[in-house]
Amino acid sequence: MAEFKIRRFDGKKSFWQTFEVPAKKGMTVLEGLYYIKENLDSSLAFRASCRMGICGSCAMKINGKPRLACETQILFLGDKITVEPLDNFRVIKDLITDFEGFFAKHKAVKPYLIREDVKYEEPKELLQTPEELNEYYVFTLCIKCGACYSVCPAAATLDGYLGPAAMAAAYRFCADSRDKGNEERYEIASSSNGVWRCHLAMECSEVCPKNVEPAKAVQMLRRKTAFSILKSILRW
Amino acid sequence: MGVSGWFKLGGRSIFSWAFTFQRLTGIVLLIYLCMHLTYLTTLLDKTGATYESMIALTVSKQFLIFDVLLVLCGVFHGINGFRIILHEFGIAYEYRKPLLAVALVLALAVWLYASYVMYYLTGG
Amino acid sequence: MKVQHDIVIVGAGLAGMRAAIAAAEKSDELSIAIIAKTYPIRCHSVCAEGGTAAVLREGDSFDLHAWDTVKGSDFLADQDAVEFFVRECPKEILRLDNWGCPWSRNEDGTIAQRPFGGHSFNRATFAKDRTGFHEVHTLYERMLMYDNIEIYPEYFITNLVIEENAVQGVSAIELKTGNLVFFEAKAVIFATGGAGRLYGFTTYSHQVTGDGLAIAYRNGIPLKDMEFFQFHPTGLIPSGILMTEGCRGEGGYLLNKDGERFMKRYAPEKMEIAPRDVVSRAMWTEIIEGRGLEGEYGPYIALDLRHLGEEKIEERLPLIRDAAIKFAGVDPVEEPIPVKPVAHYTMGGIHTNVRCETTVKGFFAAGECACVSIHGANRLGSNSTAECLVFGRVAGEVAAEYAMNAKQGRISEEFMKEEESRIYDGLLGKNGDESPYEIKKELNETMDKNMWIFREENGLKEAVKKIQELKERYKNVEINDKTRGFNTDLMMAIEIGYMLDLAEVVAIGALKRQESRGAHYRLDYPKRDDENWLKHTLAYYTPEGPRFDYIPVTITKWEPVERKY
Ligand SMILES: Cc1cc2nc3c(=O)[nH]c(=O)nc-3n(C[C@H](O)[C@H](O)[C@H](O)COP(=O)(O)OP(=O)(O)OC[C@H]3O[C@@H](n4cnc5c(N)ncnc54)[C@H](O)[C@@H]3O)c2cc1C
Ligand code: SF4
Ligand code: FES
Repeated sequence: MAEFKIRRFDGKKSFWQTFEVPAKKGMTVLEGLYYIKENLDSSLAFRASCRMGICGSCAMKINGKPRLACETQILFLGDKITVEPLDNFRVIKDLITDFEGFFAKHKAVKPYLIREDVKYEEPKELLQTPEELNEYYVFTLCIKCGACYSVCPAAATLDGYLGPAAMAAAYRFCADSRDKGNEERYEIASSSNGVWRCHLAMECSEVCPKNVEPAKAVQMLRRKTAFSILKSILRW
Repeated sequence: MGVSGWFKLGGRSIFSWAFTFQRLTGIVLLIYLCMHLTYLTTLLDKTGATYESMIALTVSKQFLIFDVLLVLCGVFHGINGFRIILHEFGIAYEYRKPLLAVALVLALAVWLYASYVMYYLTGG
Repeated sequence: MKVQHDIVIVGAGLAGMRAAIAAAEKSDELSIAIIAKTYPIRCHSVCAEGGTAAVLREGDSFDLHAWDTVKGSDFLADQDAVEFFVRECPKEILRLDNWGCPWSRNEDGTIAQRPFGGHSFNRATFAKDRTGFHEVHTLYERMLMYDNIEIYPEYFITNLVIEENAVQGVSAIELKTGNLVFFEAKAVIFATGGAGRLYGFTTYSHQVTGDGLAIAYRNGIPLKDMEFFQFHPTGLIPSGILMTEGCRGEGGYLLNKDGERFMKRYAPEKMEIAPRDVVSRAMWTEIIEGRGLEGEYGPYIALDLRHLGEEKIEERLPLIRDAAIKFAGVDPVEEPIPVKPVAHYTMGGIHTNVRCETTVKGFFAAGECACVSIHGANRLGSNSTAECLVFGRVAGEVAAEYAMNAKQGRISEEFMKEEESRIYDGLLGKNGDESPYEIKKELNETMDKNMWIFREENGLKEAVKKIQELKERYKNVEINDKTRGFNTDLMMAIEIGYMLDLAEVVAIGALKRQESRGAHYRLDYPKRDDENWLKHTLAYYTPEGPRFDYIPVTITKWEPVERKY
């Protein structure tokens, strides 16, 4: 038996509730939540889909740390589990938080390949060596779970701050050898909500369940942005 | 979450601790700097007697503990700040754990040495 | 609330997003809405791991890809559709490349391909073992470029409005607020994915409950070939998480308890990379005949990767290693992975033609929820993401053409009131003594027992009876959570209602089909019967249960022969 202590929110008030879950070897926190929903209290609200750590739905604060519920073994944590919604996000209901702003920020950095010379009707194969691929590949692994944003101290004080995930997305495209749109992204990155707001707590990289290293991406983007500003000042 | 987000440490890694202390020491140094400047600009007598008496007061046993803490703030803020600047240029990101350890050890060493010197100056 | 768009796409998986892009490319005047019950990048397609089939290189040919597909389908695929499909695949791969997909590469910088079960050429294009994930993200990101596409994430659709055999729009619950929103449209595309959660042991995401299929079916649109469900040979025990076919493609072995590579007795030539149905049946036979290994969760088969070595496993199958460690506590570098066959793909779906058109004007379907059919009785691995891309595009283009000349759909006040009361009074506000989750559990058990890899008459009859009993009980469910905002309890209860309808179609369809073909294997009719059963099943909704009809299979080049690997 494991004890699940869950911070709930019904739209008006927030309260703690405790459930007993029969924990078997191999059972994840997400399976525990499903057990509660299907057997104890079906009003419990949480997001989940893939249950294999790839869709990014189920990030929540488990025993104080943001983790993917589907990737966290109950017995690994012991028999007392506390579950809370992510910090830095507005709670909608129980463990469900509002991701609208998070996705809007992702959109704002132009996270797509910018290139004039490719035609929709006549696509062509663009060459890219495995080395060029490795330059950015790790940053493509972001599942937009929000764990990084939830621990970011800069995001805590500045609502508009782009945050680690969005900037990692921006850098991912800047570092892609097929992309030609860097300058547009530097402009966004150097805005008042961009790279200069990062104060390198680096907690984002610590909590990222996919080892994306968003803190690194922010610094790399910062370097690129700085060079591009320098260049434009010196008119290289 | 507001400013409390800077000081949230439950479940966080050592990097967040470093960040929080950087903020905290920064705030302390800022306050000290303000006090320091206000005091100096309000000094009116040209003989320096007031200044001397102030120094005499602060370089005393009773004041040592504040000085030692102040130096801790300065040393930590400076050395940790240097570490951050390195990373901000995209340097040595892969070595962030050892680098933090080195910075902490270095800060500790400098602080201990400085404390010893101050202790010595105030007459052991 | 009412919203108007030219085209409404339901489902933001691979097929839905591809359709949105295709429609937006057609004209920037069209206003396009894409609705999904999760955020787009949280769709089920992100789970696809292995690859996407396409003829890209010298030595491969369209005919070869088509033949592999037709043969894999056990000749139930419509060959005109297959021939069209294979020709369109390569372009889709290149488009994704042009939009930023991080395809795995050869040394010279060209896109890499690898072998896949049932394909006689290395034509599975892949991005490490996260192919679907990268495809979804690439399409999503590309979609952000078009100003005329509006995304409605976390809207759960509840119904389709048809009048005079023309589509008018859809109704949806905005999950955040719990309000009903009515979307009026000239054209509607369904890309809502399969129905895998009918089964308990399955590779599917929790969200794949066949909503779109059931909604179309209830509105009189026939479902095709629903009795064909694919079983993947290698589901991780106990969660059912997929161990991609890539494991075997890269050279993994399947071993029974004697350490024997038993596939040599079932498919001597292809061994482990024979098509899924063949491998699944071989594994299940080994288990039934007592040659499986014994574990905490019952008998299983060992998937052995150890001889590949750590470096290759890390390079080619990192996700698999990760998953095996996290979800089964097994490191494939050191130990074989415990697996058994698992429910994996819905071959059947909404009956459409090659242009994704259905029996209703302005209503289109694409992706896993549609049945064109190119997969027939058994889909080949890596053909379904390709299908989503190819037919997603077709659906988007055809719908755009249609919408440019159609008049705006209208949803009547009366319908709006009815729908509101059906959901909020009829379901949410009602009292009862059944738990929807209990019903779902029993449904899953029935499916796993009686509609599994080997089927026979008595078991199927039992299943039909059980499902009908569950349908009766469902009328009496009570939803505990009576609030409106983000009521996942309500959403799941509605999904379970959908699943019951679909399960009935699957069970009766399977009972009627007295032959074995592809994934549908009847112990009491172990042979394929082309004389009587070389035809598609169509199921029509009636209040008393499904009515069945059959239509012929289109054959162009390849006459059915015995399927041997
Ligand atoms: C584990 C796994 C691995 C696979 N690997 C491969 C592979 O290697 N190669 C390959 O070719 N294929 C593979 N497949 C199959 C392939 O992933 C799917 O067939 C394909 O992704 C289906 O895409 P789709 O766009 O049709 O549907 P989905 O991706 O399932 O999308 C359905 C969409 O509809 C939405 N939706 C559903 N119901 C509603 C509703 N009521 N209201 C609003 N929105 C709704 C959902 O939110 C979602 O956005 C794999 C499948 C699985 C399970
Ligand atoms: S960078 Fe990591 S923690 Fe942040 S959203 Fe992406 S996957 Fe989650
Ligand atoms: S459920 Fe998809 S990441 Fe956990």
